[in-house]
Amino acid sequence: MSGDEELAKDLGPLAALTIGVGTMIGAGIFVLPGDAILRAGSFASAAFVLGGVIAIFTALSASELGTAMPRSGGAYYYVNHALGPLLGSVAGWANWLGLAFASAFYMVGFGRYISRIFDVSGTVGMGPIGLDVVTIAALIGGGFFVLINYVGAKETGRLQNVIVVLLVAILAVFTLLGTLRADPANLPAPSTVSETLGTTGFIFVSYLGFVQITSVAEEIKDPGKNLPRAVIGSVVLVTVIYALVLVVMSAAVPQGFIADLVTNVAPGETQPIAVVEVGRQIQGALMGGALLFGGLLATASSANASILASSRINFAMGRDRIVTPALNEIHPRFGTPYRSIAITGALILLFILAGDIALLSGAASGLHLIIYGLLNIALIAMRYINPEDYQPDFTVPLFPLLPILGTIFSFALLVYVESDARLLSFGVAVAAIVWYLLYARSRATKQGILGKYILHWSEEMPDAAVSAATSVQPDGGDYRVLVPLANPEHETDLITLGGAIAKQRNGTLVAVHIETVPDQTALESAREKMDHSVSRELLEQARTDAETFDVPVETHTVLSHQSFEGIFDAANTYDADLTVMGWGPDSHGAPGRAESAVDELASSLPCDFLVMKDRGFDPSEILLPTAGGPDSELSAAIAGALAQEYDANVSLLHVADDEESGQAFLEEWAAENGLPDAELIVDTGDVEAAIERHAADASMLIVGATERGLLSRLVSGTLVLDVIEDVDCSVLLAEKARKRSLWERLLGDSR
Amino acid sequence: MSEVDSLFARPLLPVANEDDADRTATLAFPYIAAAGGRATALHVIEKAGGAPDKAPLEQREAMAEEIFEHVRSAAADAGVEVETDLRYGTDVAETILETAEATDATAIVFTPRGGKAWWNLFSGDTHETLTTENEVPVVVLPSRDEGKEGDASTTGSDDVTTGDDA
Repeated sequence: MSGDEELAKDLGPLAALTIGVGTMIGAGIFVLPGDAILRAGSFASAAFVLGGVIAIFTALSASELGTAMPRSGGAYYYVNHALGPLLGSVAGWANWLGLAFASAFYMVGFGRYISRIFDVSGTVGMGPIGLDVVTIAALIGGGFFVLINYVGAKETGRLQNVIVVLLVAILAVFTLLGTLRADPANLPAPSTVSETLGTTGFIFVSYLGFVQITSVAEEIKDPGKNLPRAVIGSVVLVTVIYALVLVVMSAAVPQGFIADLVTNVAPGETQPIAVVEVGRQIQGALMGGALLFGGLLATASSANASILASSRINFAMGRDRIVTPALNEIHPRFGTPYRSIAITGALILLFILAGDIALLSGAASGLHLIIYGLLNIALIAMRYINPEDYQPDFTVPLFPLLPILGTIFSFALLVYVESDARLLSFGVAVAAIVWYLLYARSRATKQGILGKYILHWSEEMPDAAVSAATSVQPDGGDYRVLVPLANPEHETDLITLGGAIAKQRNGTLVAVHIETVPDQTALESAREKMDHSVSRELLEQARTDAETFDVPVETHTVLSHQSFEGIFDAANTYDADLTVMGWGPDSHGAPGRAESAVDELASSLPCDFLVMKDRGFDPSEILLPTAGGPDSELSAAIAGALAQEYDANVSLLHVADDEESGQAFLEEWAAENGLPDAELIVDTGDVEAAIERHAADASMLIVGATERGLLSRLVSGTLVLDVIEDVDCSVLLAEKARKRSLWERLLGDSR
Repeated sequence: MSEVDSLFARPLLPVANEDDADRTATLAFPYIAAAGGRATALHVIEKAGGAPDKAPLEQREAMAEEIFEHVRSAAADAGVEVETDLRYGTDVAETILETAEATDATAIVFTPRGGKAWWNLFSGDTHETLTTENEVPVVVLPSRDEGKEGDASTTGSDDVTTGDDA
């Protein structure tokens, strides 16, 4: 098994590092330095170092989150997990589109290199529109790398390692030789501080790659050790390379050399690439050629890695239903998430056509800065809430100072991002929120740790926080049937009942095993020490049983000190619309044992409840006694669902003083509740005796609660309905959800 | 009976996707049931080997579980004992062969049809290697999809197709 684990997680430290370095270095060295030096003068190097410092705070936070949750999707996953799907939607869309903008930017850089290498420039007319050579090369390059990822060539990934090592080697030689020629007198005059900050905002696109390492965290070997090394190491490494290369570029050539390159461009000519020209100037044509070739590889590998990472983000978003999971379908032949890659590819091509290089890099930076801020906040939330399964191998030092600084710096740098690009980034964030509210909220399946925490401590939290947390919680959209399981003997019958209803409602079945923990044992230690194999087996069985209905199934284990309370908690946590539970000596909470909290809890049922006294699951002949009222309406809905699923015969029983008015009532009631085909029985006399008499022919009896809190009293044993004990068939008791009003809460009396 | 185990005593069933699983189950389980055999369903997740994979690992692990669910439910229906085996490898074909030898399988059973049936991976020379140098016999069950003529039913299938009236 450990051998398989090793094969599954096959990204070693070098491979992980090169994802980060490879994504970053293409932009930082091979595209931006010329403009950066022009803007910030000798402070250009400082602008890059500042960018690295801002990135390192987030790199620390990403490392901690990554070692705690080495899951597919990286930054999006952490934000969604910690802060919930509203901000998760923002992070997901920002990450996805940010990568598409970045890829478009890399491809324009790639196009420049193509244009310089083949010495073609100018504009080519294509019908009514003219495209310059750089754009055409960018489009072709972008199309090519999208295609490679679409058909899934696994060689490209391994090539990345070679490319990155080669680039670092070329740059090391360039720097070493360049230092020999360097003369401080050559340094251009430093620019102003605000211009330098502006330059940092402009070049921050060179610091996007490290977070892509976390998006493949699931594949990294020994992530506890290798992930922080790769994430932090890649930021440190590229920062050092950027700083040195920038200093050499400024100091090794006469003042004005770079300014000349960047500004004195003949119309229609492709702007010379600063690093290449400097290399040619000081180290000859060989170095110039190496850098030219290096730049081509660097921009290509940046784009390739970004396209790959974006499909991970899509997958993670689809898993949480922020986008449709259909987006991530795997191609039957290529084995790639072809739809996701095709859409990302289309966006990249569109962005190449629509945006200039400053807008592309600015939008990529702006969107990533939003993610970086959220990532730091996610870390702070996880640390403070400290859920029991949060066990990072790497922890950020000086908490909470560093993540707070990371948050502030990331958001503050947004001020220095180009204004159009900033507007675009905020536009994407707002659109992602609207997307969540209009589309994803009704579908998203995952609740954030922070939201759960706020709702959990709702009594102590300020009301505003609670209502904010409630109003943005995902409601799942579908009808969710919770089935708490206790006893393996009744598991199949309960799942069958729950599954049939879920199927009829196109809903989801949520099977939970509630493990009762003695009051003396802390829940955290129980989670570690108890043997959960029973729970696993039970839930596995439940999953198998439920799958015969072809409904989506979720399974969870819940630890609780009191089983009945655990069910209520689970109904809230998993957003149940209906809870189907067993009731009997070996189910949750033995009758006769008064659980003091039950009355209090049960008087405000969090969802509809269906309690089964299991004497075998046979819905062929259903008897439904009714006297009207909301709870018997629920019974009718259940009977209707079972009738649909099992083609069952439903008989309605109404006990009235007068047969004629009884008949009239029952006919109307049957029509109103969607049971027009049901057999109608009107009887007189004692209600319980009538039910018992007619139940003799039935295989299942469905009874609506006749008074509030009936269930709680039945379960706690303070009320005994003889009829339930006297009949031979299975009995279902239905009680509708009931939220206590504020008035009732104030009075403390709920009945 | 004899020193040679029945081909279907411990067959290895490589399954590439859910359709492949259904098809393999439909075609192979009757033979396995008849032989009283115990099948192993194998799914291989293709790894890049030191580089990011072309599709998310978690997604493919979830897919593998779904594929196995199809196999298990079909096995339960057919009354066949089945084990599932998830492996990772940079070369799917090689991993299948290694698994067959490691688990002492009596045969590797393919049903070459549809999208990405792994039989197609054994192309050209590899087909040859598979049937000559490989230690484990290979059984190819022709699936009888309407309107499609089989082209891969040439290897070792004659002796096992006769009893199938389906």
